[in-house]
Amino acid sequence: MLVSNSPPNREQKLFALGVVAVLLGAMLLVAPFARNRLEGSEPMVLAYTAAVFTTEMITAALLLSLFAVQRSPAILVLAIAYLYSGFMAVPWALSFPTVVASLGLAEAGQQTTASIAAMRRIGCPLFLLAYAMLRRSGEVPAGRMVPAMIVGSVAAVAVVVAGVTWTILGNQDLLPVFVDEGRRITHVWMYVPIVALALYAVLIVLLGLFGRSVLDLCLLVVICALTIDLVLLSFVSAGLQFSVGWWAGRLYSLAAASVVLIVLLAEAASLSARLARSAAAERRAHEDRMVTLQAFSAAVAHEINQPLASMVTNADAGLRWLARERPDVEEARAALTRIARDGHRAGKVVEGIRTTFSKRDEDRGQLNINQLIRDVLDCYRDECRAAHVVMQTELDPDLPLVSGNRVQIEQIIANLVTNAIDAMRTVTDGERVLRVTSTAMSAGEVVVSVADSGIGLPPAHADRLFQPFFTTKPNGLGVGLTVSRLILEAHGGRLWASDNAPAGAIFHFALPCAARPAPFAEERAR
Amino acid sequence: MTSVVFIVDDDQAVREALQSLLRSVGHVVEAFECTRDLLEHRQRMAELAGCLVLDVRLPGQSGLDLQRQLAADGILLPIVFITGHGDVPMSVAAMKAGAIEFLTKPFRDQDLLDAVHRALELDTGRRAAATALAALQARFDSLTAREREVMALVAAGQLNKQIAAELELAEVTVKVHRAQVMAKMQARSLPELVRMADRLSADGRGG
Repeated sequence: MLVSNSPPNREQKLFALGVVAVLLGAMLLVAPFARNRLEGSEPMVLAYTAAVFTTEMITAALLLSLFAVQRSPAILVLAIAYLYSGFMAVPWALSFPTVVASLGLAEAGQQTTASIAAMRRIGCPLFLLAYAMLRRSGEVPAGRMVPAMIVGSVAAVAVVVAGVTWTILGNQDLLPVFVDEGRRITHVWMYVPIVALALYAVLIVLLGLFGRSVLDLCLLVVICALTIDLVLLSFVSAGLQFSVGWWAGRLYSLAAASVVLIVLLAEAASLSARLARSAAAERRAHEDRMVTLQAFSAAVAHEINQPLASMVTNADAGLRWLARERPDVEEARAALTRIARDGHRAGKVVEGIRTTFSKRDEDRGQLNINQLIRDVLDCYRDECRAAHVVMQTELDPDLPLVSGNRVQIEQIIANLVTNAIDAMRTVTDGERVLRVTSTAMSAGEVVVSVADSGIGLPPAHADRLFQPFFTTKPNGLGVGLTVSRLILEAHGGRLWASDNAPAGAIFHFALPCAARPAPFAEERAR
Repeated sequence: MTSVVFIVDDDQAVREALQSLLRSVGHVVEAFECTRDLLEHRQRMAELAGCLVLDVRLPGQSGLDLQRQLAADGILLPIVFITGHGDVPMSVAAMKAGAIEFLTKPFRDQDLLDAVHRALELDTGRRAAATALAALQARFDSLTAREREVMALVAAGQLNKQIAAELELAEVTVKVHRAQVMAKMQARSLPELVRMADRLSADGRGG
């Protein structure tokens, strides 16, 4: 679950409300002193801009990396919004007269700062509006497109910002008169906050009513902070630069820039902790399974080897009795009898293994296979994300129940999912898709298919796939599919494999449906 | 004297198969389920020529433990080990302790028969040597104290004259003793007597 797709819980909603309340409270506290001018505070603009620029660039970078994974166009647009806002902050800061003077640059026209600010004010909510509209659109297909889109977006924003700046600097005479000689805002400026506030209002409605994710909630807080900023700037402080109200607006703007960053960083930290925890747990579980399987296979090997050894020795002895100068048929007969007996004994061992997987009838229950699949996939969500594997399911909603041992069937699904993920680890071109489907068959069977887009089944191995101790994994034991098949046979089911198109493999297993009670059986009994 | 192949394996089927295989080539075989049953025949094991076919993993005392115990008890029966799951350290330990062979089940019958053959040959040879030494010792024991002194000095290469001086005897008397030693030890020549003295002293009991 990511901030971009997980719904906010009650605490998060309350927290967001609390933040907005604190912001509003602070505005009311500042309001009486809003028009007091803080003399000599102009150079602080550079420090402020550096902070905003850094924060927005880091946020944009995090959003772009999120886009690389999720490939949602909405996230890309949001990243563009932050890039735009961050880039625009640079010419804005550089247009302040004292800053220009301290850097030794030619002084820009009087309307420059306000014009850039207006472009930034109006531009950002437009991008956020695009984000709100795009939230429900589908994913961009994976592949080379994604990095190209990221690089292209960054470049396009940089070009647009440079173009806007250049246009403003080059057409001083055409700029609207936003400020008068006394550095006070004119009535022309008032269009900017009014348009921006209208956009903010639309966004608040869109995100407030239709927002579904934690990210939407964060953006709601951001817009509230920006609204307060704009109100302080344009109305409460009457646009007086470097006044208390103006500076308070800057702080709100900085706070707004930081909200998403803080949330994304917090998520990254908690994600990596969760990933480490679940990786460790998975490793432990895997080692446990390996130890059990190793002990199990050692025991089986010994149990089979003893009768095998005595069969071979008996056969040799029989041959030698017959090869004597006077063949001893009685001894040879005895040896053959013993071979038959040993063969039956080995057969009993195999039978014993089979029943080990089926004898616990009391452990069997009516299983909802779809629920089982969801439970197993939940356990593998973090691993899939780490391996850049996209998980897809197509579960038949009308799947009948299946009678079986829950732990064992889960083990089979987990085994097939692990195999599928492992098969895709070396895939560098093309998508990594894990697709699990469940289907009810008319023959009274439930079929589960686990498909991957991995390396596929090499034809050379096709017939050895289900043989014990056959593996293509460097650290594999080669018993997973064997054990899975044994379990399924004990359940009256089957396991088989086929090729996936265009690449990869599909493993299918079928289980007979549980005997369904005859309809109206209860009524009739009454 | 016939030699006996003793088998210890806890698996009855394997035991029976081994017995049949060894009997088919004419061996006399006795099979046991565990080392405790085998050790009840400790006396016969010491007396009879033979060898031991031993499963490494046994209930109770393991095959390797039995190998150590028999060696400590002076029962020098050669041992052929068989095992269901041979691992290298175990086979190295067994071979270092003097095992003839270490076979992993299922083994080729010829490998086992060859190993048993070698073991029996070794034991027969060892027992023949021991018997000969015992006979020699008996002859040596029949010598008088003076004759033993003379024999030691003769074997050391001294001349009759020197021996006479050393033992303060007349040279004629030494010659008589010397002839007596040669007769009692059944030595046909001086070099043969020297070899006998060497073997007796190597055994730690003679000269």
